[in-house]
Amino acid sequence: MKILPRQVSWITLAVWAALWLAPLVLTDWAQSQLAQFVTYGVFALGLGFLWGHVGVLSFGQAIFFGLGAYSMALTSLGMIPGFGDGAFQGFVLALVVSAVSAAVLGSMLFYGRGLAGAYFGIVTLCAAVIVETAARRWDYIGGYNGLFGIPPFELAAAVTSLLPDSTGIYYLALGVALGVFVLLFWLSRTPFGTVLAAIRDNDRRMAFLGYNVALHKNIAFVLSAAVSALSGAMFVKFFGFASPTLIGFALSTEVLIWVAVGGRQVLLAAFLGAILVRSVESALSERFGNYWLLVLGAVFVVVVVFFPAGVFGGLLRLRPHRRFQIEPATAEFTEAWPPTPRAALVKGERGALRS
Amino acid sequence: MFAAALPLLLDSVSFFLVLLLVVLGLLVIFGLMNVINMAHGEFFLIGAYTAVAATHAGLSFWWAFILAPCVLAVIGWIVELAVVRFVYSRFIDSILATWGLSLILKQLIVVIFGPTSQSVANPLESTVQIVGTTYPAYRLFIMGASIVLTAGTFLLLYRSHLGLTIRGVIANRAMAASLGVNTRRLDVGTFMAGAALAGFAGAAMAPLMSVDPQMGTGFLIPSFLSILVGGTTSFIGVVVGAALISGGTTGLSALRDPVFAQIVVFSLAIVIIRLFPSGLFGKR
Repeated sequence: MKILPRQVSWITLAVWAALWLAPLVLTDWAQSQLAQFVTYGVFALGLGFLWGHVGVLSFGQAIFFGLGAYSMALTSLGMIPGFGDGAFQGFVLALVVSAVSAAVLGSMLFYGRGLAGAYFGIVTLCAAVIVETAARRWDYIGGYNGLFGIPPFELAAAVTSLLPDSTGIYYLALGVALGVFVLLFWLSRTPFGTVLAAIRDNDRRMAFLGYNVALHKNIAFVLSAAVSALSGAMFVKFFGFASPTLIGFALSTEVLIWVAVGGRQVLLAAFLGAILVRSVESALSERFGNYWLLVLGAVFVVVVVFFPAGVFGGLLRLRPHRRFQIEPATAEFTEAWPPTPRAALVKGERGALRS
Repeated sequence: MFAAALPLLLDSVSFFLVLLLVVLGLLVIFGLMNVINMAHGEFFLIGAYTAVAATHAGLSFWWAFILAPCVLAVIGWIVELAVVRFVYSRFIDSILATWGLSLILKQLIVVIFGPTSQSVANPLESTVQIVGTTYPAYRLFIMGASIVLTAGTFLLLYRSHLGLTIRGVIANRAMAASLGVNTRRLDVGTFMAGAALAGFAGAAMAPLMSVDPQMGTGFLIPSFLSILVGGTTSFIGVVVGAALISGGTTGLSALRDPVFAQIVVFSLAIVIIRLFPSGLFGKR
């Protein structure tokens, strides 16, 4: 299925246009559902950027989603003395707390070499378990039950007079999603983003070229954590609760599945993966009960093993930046994009994968 | 003082030995196939549930020690053929694929046995007198069995022709293959053996802990941390890593409580890994 690059960018635009027009055909309830899925989509964008573009596989991304959620919940309930209880303060706290913790965790981890690429994944997995256990035990943040009764966003009067509440909320979520998408997309096409992509493809070579690989990875990690926290804070405002399930192991796994199923190499595909999986889940999970997770696990394995590009990856792939469209390298570049580990193995670089 | 500390010491040692069984399987699979098997915790879990199923079916508990490794060897064989062999040369994908497998296996257990925790009656109720303290005989039995299995694995790897072949493939797969070693068969066999070891460990632990679908993850994380702390390159390093993790967990659980112990040990392990990126005993 080869689609002209020109058309591919039209597909991206069409997806966003469809999302903007969706409230015209959806009921109020469906709109608020979709607003939730879009919130998860923002979370998926954060992980998609980190994993697809920088090649850092985090099994603990929900730590930051949860930190964002708890920050917003504590602020909204006025439980942080002298800080105020507005949504703005909540977002500021969410971003600062998650960015600082990501910077600390990243500076602990990006210098290690343990189990090759898995090292980071395993340690973030452990960190997610630690944080979830701690959240269950900390009574100030609600312990096992979490925090309830968080007031929703207060939309401006000008908006509520024009649109029903659910539509206003939906556009708020979609606006944030579009903003994050544009930011990450732009970033991935800057020279800085090119360095990140090069680190994904061969971090050792980048180190020899004089780049501070650990620092670059850490910056991307902090950015991704901030995006996750943003979606966590929005989630709290939409759902009205924050609980230990938002900060740990299970949600970290789910977001990985969304991104893998959607397509890890393309931002919009990761975003749509979250919406797709959550929509199918809300349609099927009641009927299938326990079997739903079984099906989801199986789909995940099949996608990872046989369709690494994901459901939407091939469709939404965009042409490389103009800087890379140089003759005669173009053909080779697009053919071998992205380079697979198999290709590296064929060239006899197995050592690069192992150490 | 000594009388109070001895049961604690024995508890740590029995936990350590069972953890070592899980870690050994993980390590050999990683060394040989370069696959991080995230489903290894679920192999342990299935071992424990095999013990549950065996006792529910009216069999004596001791059958579980034979059944669990056999069941897991078959599951390991299926998993290897159906999924793992496709991702050998794709390192990150192998993590994700085995991770997905672990979700499937865990959910299968939930579907078959339900999400609530089960218990298995202790087959050896009697206690033994050791230096003035009474200690459950079953734990001593587990310790003995684990020592035998670990020693057996060690001898197999370092003192037998098969072990030499395995280590040869670990060192240089292409060279071993061109010298006529059937690496494919070796991979399958090793994967089955690793799964069987985890299954035995699961069956052994079933009477000592509440058997629930989350216990696999609870064992997977200490196993990985043991390997990361000890270093992937040496057998001794991993033994020390497992000893540190299990000793720390048991000791701190006795001092305060298991949750506190988990948090402290995991956090300390992450710090150690930061300070010694290739493990305490790894090569620089």
